[in-house]
Amino acid sequence: MKKVWMVLLAVLGLAGLALAQTTVRVGVLLPISTVAGKAALNGVQLGVDQVNAGGKVKIELVVVDDGNTPATAVPALTKLMTVDRVDIVIGGLASGVTFALSGPVKQYQPLFLCIGAASSVVEQAFSDYNRFFHYHPWDYHNVAAALEFFKYLYDSGARRVAILYEDGPFGSAGIQTYRQQLERQGYTVQAEPFKSGSGSFTAILTRLKGFRPDILYWIGYDVDALPIAAQARQVGLEPKLIYGAPPAWPTGFEKNKLSNDIAGMTAWLPSVANNESRRFVNLYRRKFGEVTDEYMAPMGYVIALSLGKALEAAGSTDKDRVAAELAKVQMDTPFGPLSFKPSDTGRTRYQGFNQSIWLQFQYLEGSRRPVFPPSRSARPLRFPGNY
Amino acid sequence: MELLLQTLINGILAAGIYALVASGLALAVGVVGIVNFAHGEFTMIGAFVAYLLFVSTGLDPFLSLGLAALVLFLVGAITYLGLIQPVLAAPELNQMLLTFGLSVALQNIALLVFGADTRVVSTSYQGATLSLGSLSFGVPPLLAFGLSVGILGALYGFLDRTRLGLAVRAVAQNRLAPGLLGIETQQVYLLAFGLSAALAGVAGVMLSVMLYASPTVGFAYTLKAFAIIVMAGLGNLRGVVPAAVILAMAEALVSTYVPGGGGWVEAVFFLVIFVALTWRSWRAA
Repeated sequence: MKKVWMVLLAVLGLAGLALAQTTVRVGVLLPISTVAGKAALNGVQLGVDQVNAGGKVKIELVVVDDGNTPATAVPALTKLMTVDRVDIVIGGLASGVTFALSGPVKQYQPLFLCIGAASSVVEQAFSDYNRFFHYHPWDYHNVAAALEFFKYLYDSGARRVAILYEDGPFGSAGIQTYRQQLERQGYTVQAEPFKSGSGSFTAILTRLKGFRPDILYWIGYDVDALPIAAQARQVGLEPKLIYGAPPAWPTGFEKNKLSNDIAGMTAWLPSVANNESRRFVNLYRRKFGEVTDEYMAPMGYVIALSLGKALEAAGSTDKDRVAAELAKVQMDTPFGPLSFKPSDTGRTRYQGFNQSIWLQFQYLEGSRRPVFPPSRSARPLRFPGNY
Repeated sequence: MELLLQTLINGILAAGIYALVASGLALAVGVVGIVNFAHGEFTMIGAFVAYLLFVSTGLDPFLSLGLAALVLFLVGAITYLGLIQPVLAAPELNQMLLTFGLSVALQNIALLVFGADTRVVSTSYQGATLSLGSLSFGVPPLLAFGLSVGILGALYGFLDRTRLGLAVRAVAQNRLAPGLLGIETQQVYLLAFGLSAALAGVAGVMLSVMLYASPTVGFAYTLKAFAIIVMAGLGNLRGVVPAAVILAMAEALVSTYVPGGGGWVEAVFFLVIFVALTWRSWRAA
C-alpha cells in the first residue's frame, strides 16, 4: 500500500511539474543554407536544449529558411505568423533581408529577437517598434572597433591603406565614412571597388601596387578571400597586412597556406577564455561533434538562453510580459556580459552588445587566433605579415 | 610601360580560362545548335569533383583533370540523351527554357548536397609567381593558360585532322547533308555535347584552384562565355580565342587604368557585346 501511495505521489508530482512548465513555440527565420545561418541555427538549438533541460520552460522551434533574400524571407515570416501562429521570432541575420522584414514584422507585431543585421538602415527601420531586441552590435560599433585596430597599426608604423570594396550595399555603404575616419587617423587611403565573385583582381591589385600600401583592406564576401590572397602575391603587392572583412570566411581557408597572417574581425572564437565560452564550446562539441569558428553560433545560443530566462521570469507566454522580462535580463555570455540598453543613437530601445565584443584575429598556423585588443589576445599580431 | 606590360600579361592569362569555358559553349551551340544555359553548372560540377577528390584523397586538382573531364563527359552525354535529344526538334525557346531549368535544378541540387559554403582547396603553388624582370606571372593562371592552349589545340587538331572531327564540322555546317552521306548525326551531337561538358568540367577544376568551389561558381564564367561566343559569332570555334583575349584585355585595361574601374567590369562586358553585334550588323549591311 505504501508503494502505491509513493507511485501516486510521484505521478502527481510529475503532473504538477508538467502543468507548471511554460511551453512556447518560437519561430526561427534564418538563411540555413549559409555558413553563418547554419551556425546560428545550431546555436539556437543548443540553447533551447539547455533551456528545456531546466524543466521550467519548454521551447518548441519552428524553423524556416529565409533564403538570404527578401523575396523568400517575407513569405517565410508570413507563414510563421499566419500558419504557425508564433508570437516570438528569432532571426534577421542579413541586413538587407531584415530591412525587408521590418514592414511585415510591424504588421504582425511579434517579439522579434534579431541575431544580426548590423546596418544602421535596419536600426532606422525598427526605430518605432518596441518589440525589437537587437543583440548584434550596430555598424557604427563595428567601425569603432575596426578603427581602434587601425589606430594601433598606425602606431606600429602603417601609413597607407588600400581599400578594396565590393560595389554592392555591403561593401560600399560605409566606404566614405571609413575613408574619412582613416584619413583623420593620419592614413593615406586609396579605395577601389570590385565585383564580388568575379575572381579577377590582378588588374586592380596591379594598379594598387603603385600605391605601395602598408595595409590591403578588403570588404567583400567569402568567395573573394582566396583570389585576393593569391593574386596579391601573384602581382607582388606585398603589403604589411592583409585585413579582410567578409561576413564569413570560406570553408577550409584556414588550412590554405595563403591564409597565414591574414587578419580579420570577429565577435568570438572558440579560444576565447571565459567560462561561458568554454562551456559553450564543450556543449557544441558534444552535440555536433565539432567546434565552430562562426560567432553566429554563440549568438544564437545567447538569444535562446536569454529568451529562456525571460520566459521563466514571466511565467507566461504573453509576448509583452516576456519582452518586459527580457529587457531586465543580465547574464554572462561567451561574448561577455549581456544586458539591454537603448542604442547609441537612441533609435531603438533594446540593444544587447556593442563594440566591446569585437576582437581582431589573425590566421596563424592553420587557425584563427585573437591578436587585438591586447587584453584579449592569445598571440602577438604578426606585423608585418609574410605575404 | 611596366604597368601596361603587366596589365597585358594579366589580360592574356585571364583569357586562357575564358577561352576554355567559351569553347565548350561554342561547341554546344555550333554543333548541336542548342544554347546551353547549364554550361556554368557543368563547370561547377567540375570544381566540386576536384574539391571532393582533394579533401578525400589529397589529390592535387590538376591531377584530377582527366577524371573530371570523364565525369563531365558522362554527365553531358546523359544530359544529351535524357533531355536535349527529345527537344532538338522543338522551338528554340523551349530548348532554352529546358537548359535554363536544368541550370536552376543543378544549382539547387548542389545547394542541397553541399550547402552554400564557399570551399577552397590548398595547394603549394596557389600563390606562386614567376618573375621576368619586374613583371610577374602567377603560376596557377599560367598553368591554366598553358592547359587551355593545349586542350584547345588538341580540340582544333581533332576537328581538323580526324574523320570524326570532320564529321563534327560537317554536322555543324549542315544538319541534313551529313546524314544523307551516312554520318550518324545523333552520335555526333552526343559526342559534341559530351565534349562541351568535359571542357566545362576541366575549366571548373582550374577554377577550384584559382577561386573556389560553390554552387554558384560557374555563373560569372557562363556570362563571360556567352559574351565571347557572341563576339566570335555563334558557333564559330575559331573566333573563340581572339574574342576571349579581347574581353580579358578590355577588362584588365579598364580595371587598371580607369579609377574605380573594378566596378565597371560588367559594363565592359556589355559594351564589348554591344560593339561586336553592332560591328557585325554594319558589316552585313
